[in-house]
Amino acid sequence: MSSTRRRSAGRAVAAACEVVVTVALATALVAALDAVAPTSGLAVVYLLAVLTVAIRRGWPAALATAVVSVLAFNYFFIAPVHRLTIADRENVAALLVFLVVAVVVGRLAAAARDRAAEAEARARIAAQREDEAEMLAGIATLLLRGSSLDRQLDAIAARVARAVGAPVRLERSSAPASRADERSVPIPVSHGRLWAHLPRDAAPDEDVLGRVRHGLAAIVDIAAERERATARAAEADSAQRADIAKTAVLHAISHDLRSPLTAITTAAAGLGDERIDDADRAELVSVVRDESARLAQLVDDLLDLSRVQAGAVNPRVDWLDVNEVVGRAAAQVEAARVSIELPVDLPLVRADATQMERVFLNLLDNAVRFSPPGRPVRVTGGAASGQVTVRVIDEGPGVPLGQADAVFEPFYRGRRGSGPAGENGAGGGAGAGLGLAICRGFVEANGGRLLLQRPTGGHGAIFAVSLPAARPPAEPA
Amino acid sequence: MTEAAAHVLVVDDEPQILRGLKVVLRSAGFQVAQAATKREALDAIAVRPPDVIILDLVLPDGNGVEVCEEVRRWSTLPIIVLSAVGDEREKVRALDAGADDYVTKPFGTDELTARIRAVLRRRDTGDGADPLVRVGEVTIDVAARRVTRDGAEVHLTPIEFDLLRVLAVHRGKLVTHRRLLREVWGPGYGEETHYLRVHVAHIRRKLERDPARPEILLTDAGVGYRLAPEP
Repeated sequence: MSSTRRRSAGRAVAAACEVVVTVALATALVAALDAVAPTSGLAVVYLLAVLTVAIRRGWPAALATAVVSVLAFNYFFIAPVHRLTIADRENVAALLVFLVVAVVVGRLAAAARDRAAEAEARARIAAQREDEAEMLAGIATLLLRGSSLDRQLDAIAARVARAVGAPVRLERSSAPASRADERSVPIPVSHGRLWAHLPRDAAPDEDVLGRVRHGLAAIVDIAAERERATARAAEADSAQRADIAKTAVLHAISHDLRSPLTAITTAAAGLGDERIDDADRAELVSVVRDESARLAQLVDDLLDLSRVQAGAVNPRVDWLDVNEVVGRAAAQVEAARVSIELPVDLPLVRADATQMERVFLNLLDNAVRFSPPGRPVRVTGGAASGQVTVRVIDEGPGVPLGQADAVFEPFYRGRRGSGPAGENGAGGGAGAGLGLAICRGFVEANGGRLLLQRPTGGHGAIFAVSLPAARPPAEPA
Repeated sequence: MTEAAAHVLVVDDEPQILRGLKVVLRSAGFQVAQAATKREALDAIAVRPPDVIILDLVLPDGNGVEVCEEVRRWSTLPIIVLSAVGDEREKVRALDAGADDYVTKPFGTDELTARIRAVLRRRDTGDGADPLVRVGEVTIDVAARRVTRDGAEVHLTPIEFDLLRVLAVHRGKLVTHRRLLREVWGPGYGEETHYLRVHVAHIRRKLERDPARPEILLTDAGVGYRLAPEP
């Protein structure tokens, strides 16, 4: 037996009880009034009963009340009392009239009741639709706020759950991954698949669910389309920026390659002239020497950079004592200006010796170049949580806020130098802005990290190199 | 013998480098012969053994490592290899195969002639000829296994002394990691560079004025160690 049928049977029993009780009450009232009023006039009381039941229970119950009322009136009050027979013909006519009146009244009242119920139902549906519309608008707002569809799925599911009156889980995937105690309802989106999972034992409002599915699908479609459009725009934008960057890099390289070549060519032509004196000859020779060195440095840097960018750094990993590597690098810059304050008992690391020396040489060279004259460059460090960290600390002008990552971009040229630009621009020292990009590439290829840190208070820059500490196997005694 | 008579064989397939090197080395007082391939080089060495070989690692018909191996089968004549950035593996292989030293391209000619003179001097004095090696304020008595600093005896462990001894015997010469490990720990060793890192740090703490900036026991990144050459 279905629940609907069970429910309507229950309603019928309740209506029957109400009919009986109402008629009984009316009978009791008539009995009470019988003493003060003529019995025949009191049939009106039964009309009240019919009216009440008609309003509360509708037409069939009203008809039943009318019939039962006639029988009760006949049985209790019309002679012969306590029999369903009628002695007086007049009473037969009265009862018939009463029955007709009761039926008509019941019918009218029931019709009025039905219209009221219908209006009420309509109002309820309208309110429900309004709730659904509000929910969909809320979802649309969520998605328009710019966050991604996938990240909003749970928030959307919560709203849908409130509308259908049961827990809902939303999932975007080609096949629904519902749990054993869930059923999956497809949301008809046009790209991909979207599923609503509901617990099997919940009783959601199926009508609402059916309607909401379509509205939800439309909104999700729009959001997905918007996401695709945004992604396409971002792609186009980054491609364009990459183009601009590449062009800038080519300009920088061709300038940096051409100027030493031009200087060398000019000097060689000058040397070929027999009329120049010894001082001029020496000058031209030193131009050739300096510019060749600069060119050599640039070529090495470009090669290293391309190895970094191609992921072909290919370190020759070896056991290294960081102290030793830093010492070697420091010996190649203005040694007096570098103060090495590393603990002597740092753990060994596994890295490429040449590459790490190059990294520290670059960092120290930069630091010395950007430090005010007479101020030392400090190298500190230590081992903590499995990492050996070395910090190269200078007291130069530091790196502008927001450029902490930009300095590691190839061809970044800091405005850090306080000295005259010409001095920094000439000679092998200034470089083409490749040093830090190479350093970071080398450190990362060796399993470490290179970060720019901001000194607490004061100025300057701290470049921190961290490498995983390695525990070598014990030496045989 | 006089340096002026020293005979240098330059093995490089790059004509412009040969042109420049010939001029520079001649003006520095050397006699210069040249070879452009591995074949030519081995022929030239067999016909007239030079005093020094300057050897490029990349040759059209082979590589410099093979030349080193070939020459070392019958001769100890000094070999200096020319290496470029990025050739580190080849460079170490050549040194392990018996090359004496290296210079990195592009090199300064002063650096190259200094290296040539150093290997010639070592050849003439002979490795380990002097049992008493003085480096700055440190004196190493190889025979007596004694090390003093400013006249005061320094205590070294046997391993530390052996390391120092190998370097002192080949003073000024680059000794590769592999060779050091074999000579000090034994023939089964060669990759255990962590032993070297630890013991070298200890030796430096005992001998160097500033262990962070060594002046006696010098590091050659990724290749090996050498004892500071005679001034």
